[in-house]
Amino acid sequence: MSTPALVVDRVTKRFAGHTAVDALSLSVPSGVIYGLLGPNGAGKSTTIRMILNIYVPDGGSVQLFGEGSGRDHSARVGYLPEERGLYNRMRVIDVLLFLAQMKGLSRRVARGRALEWLDRLGLADWRMRKVNELSKGMQQKVQFISTVLHEPDLLIMDEAFSGLDPVNAQVLKDTVLDLRNRGKTILLSTHIMEQAEKLCDHVGIIARGKKLVDGTLADVKRTHGGRHVLVNFDGARGDADRIFADRRLVTKADASGPFAELELASGADAQDILKALVTSQARLSRFELAEPSLNKIFVDLVGPEAARAAEKPEVAHA
Amino acid sequence: MRKVLAVIRREFVERVRTRWFWIGTVLGPVLMIAIIGFQMLLAGQGGGHREIALMDRTSTAFGADLASQLQRAIPRFHVVRVAAGAGVADSLLAEVEAKRIDGYLMVSDSTLTDGAAEYRGSNVSSIGDMEQLHAALQRVLFAARLEERGIDTLLVQQAQVTLNLETHKIMGRKLTGESGTQSFMTGFGMAILLFVAILMYGVNVMSSVLEEKTTRVVEVLVSSLKPFQLMVGKVIGAGAVGIVQLSVWIVSAKLLSGAQHRAALANPAAITPSFQFPNIPTATLVIFVLYFLLGYFLYAGIYAAVGAMSSTEAEARQAQVPVQLLLMVPYLSFFALLNDPNSRIAVWLTMIPFWSPIATPVRWGASPFPVIQLVVSLSILLVTVIFVTWVASRIYRVGILMTGKRPSLRELVRWVRTA
Repeated sequence: MSTPALVVDRVTKRFAGHTAVDALSLSVPSGVIYGLLGPNGAGKSTTIRMILNIYVPDGGSVQLFGEGSGRDHSARVGYLPEERGLYNRMRVIDVLLFLAQMKGLSRRVARGRALEWLDRLGLADWRMRKVNELSKGMQQKVQFISTVLHEPDLLIMDEAFSGLDPVNAQVLKDTVLDLRNRGKTILLSTHIMEQAEKLCDHVGIIARGKKLVDGTLADVKRTHGGRHVLVNFDGARGDADRIFADRRLVTKADASGPFAELELASGADAQDILKALVTSQARLSRFELAEPSLNKIFVDLVGPEAARAAEKPEVAHA
Repeated sequence: MRKVLAVIRREFVERVRTRWFWIGTVLGPVLMIAIIGFQMLLAGQGGGHREIALMDRTSTAFGADLASQLQRAIPRFHVVRVAAGAGVADSLLAEVEAKRIDGYLMVSDSTLTDGAAEYRGSNVSSIGDMEQLHAALQRVLFAARLEERGIDTLLVQQAQVTLNLETHKIMGRKLTGESGTQSFMTGFGMAILLFVAILMYGVNVMSSVLEEKTTRVVEVLVSSLKPFQLMVGKVIGAGAVGIVQLSVWIVSAKLLSGAQHRAALANPAAITPSFQFPNIPTATLVIFVLYFLLGYFLYAGIYAAVGAMSSTEAEARQAQVPVQLLLMVPYLSFFALLNDPNSRIAVWLTMIPFWSPIATPVRWGASPFPVIQLVVSLSILLVTVIFVTWVASRIYRVGILMTGKRPSLRELVRWVRTA
């Protein structure tokens, strides 16, 4: 196996009063899309900032491409911070050139690539406009361009999809997939599991600064999901509630309205549940043996409370 | 290093592109021209013709005598003697109001004995008019008293010398062409220029730091270069703008003073305005530039730290008030410096690093002092610049990534120690 693009080794970061990241270790293989998942306040941004040398860890170490940390490799790393922003009074093209220079690109090379990207994302006519004349969506695109102009081997996106409309989110997704297919590594953090599930090859789930689980998406699902059954009712539910409560068959049920996601008890046969439902006069439109959703794993791991907290806006902390 | 250059370049180019840079750069010389023009206008008016009435309450011929002698002493005054009587004062008042005369001088017998006289007019605030009137009146009185005691008129006239005291500053052993007024103007001009420039470019650094902080661009930057490099790039970039702007101002001042000088030579009859561009010696200029740079670096570092520890523009404006007050001390003391450049206060102002950037060039401009003092002052300033930059960079490093409320003094100390 090739050298991982990124290794985080037992890093710890304490801020006045609390430990934001607690002896966290991660390994991001080369050429994958890695989802760093966790509720707000879990320490995702802090971890990312330590990877990038923005914060100095209180303990532990970070290695990029086998040696050294973020700033040493800044020419190979692209970074999209959680809170977006550009120089408002600068022209679009000048912002891009300046940020590319920060990544070690010459202005000449940067100009060529910037014009290409602006064209590709439909912003060619806006290159001489000031940033504050652009819509929020356009500004996001410009900022995204600024993170990939220097063709980084590792792209780090904090809350990658926050604040994007569906169209722009799709553009971003396509671009990220394209980068992965060209061998780049992408580390993105999000608390929206549906997106992570569709996009990520690897995931690492963290909460309260600690890692709960990591690995390939398939592995995580296999080891943490158990066997799942998805049920849709078509009207009558029969004796469903009693059957779902039978711990010999079902260890956990997540039922809401006409839909239910069940986790099978070990040794139980899904056919027994189906038989019981049908005999109790329940009408079914769907009965499917399935993998658990990432969201389910996430909720199970971090607890419903933390998962709900993830829906709330993050409180600024330093 | 290339990244620092890029930071410098951005800071410089973006600032030079703004409307404010051009307004400021052009406004400087325009303001200078305006000041000269205004002064010339005032001087021109000050030398105009005056209609003066002399209200004579004397019981002797002294009044009539005084009128004719005043007329001779000040040719641009037209003096008419009016004998005092009932209602004369009122009618003269009406004349002044109607602007047919500028004012009237009241003399009586006591003028000769006690020197008491009174002038009422619309031009009393004209220093030139009043000084001339005062001087002429004194001379006439002086002569009249001597004559009264029987001294020969001719002898008196010979004894009366019109004094013309010219003031020239001594630099080293050389006599400079600089007059007292010019010397004052040099000091005054340098104090204003240094104060405004250090403050303005320092505040520029502050708002630039703040912009990167509030837009969070700083996170991307700090992941690519060290916070210290970023801060140094900013300070140098904004300082370069300052140097360009100051150069434009100094060069245009030089050109203007040259033009003014030539105009004065071409038309010697013209009244010289009280404001003249002084001829600044090279040593003073070098000291000026040196202290501007060091002073700028000193305060720019502080302003960068202030920007980093604030979260909004309003907060930063409030936080920088103490810094501004600190810089105001030497600015406000420039009068003391010029009055007595070798006083103990002046020496202290030259030595204290937060004040010396303004105080030293002003004091040197007023009167060069021992070079050893200059060396000590520069050394103290240089060491302070290095120390303050070090402290500021540590505050900057922590501050730019902080959000929320402004840190307390204790927290700042912790930042500096642990950063």
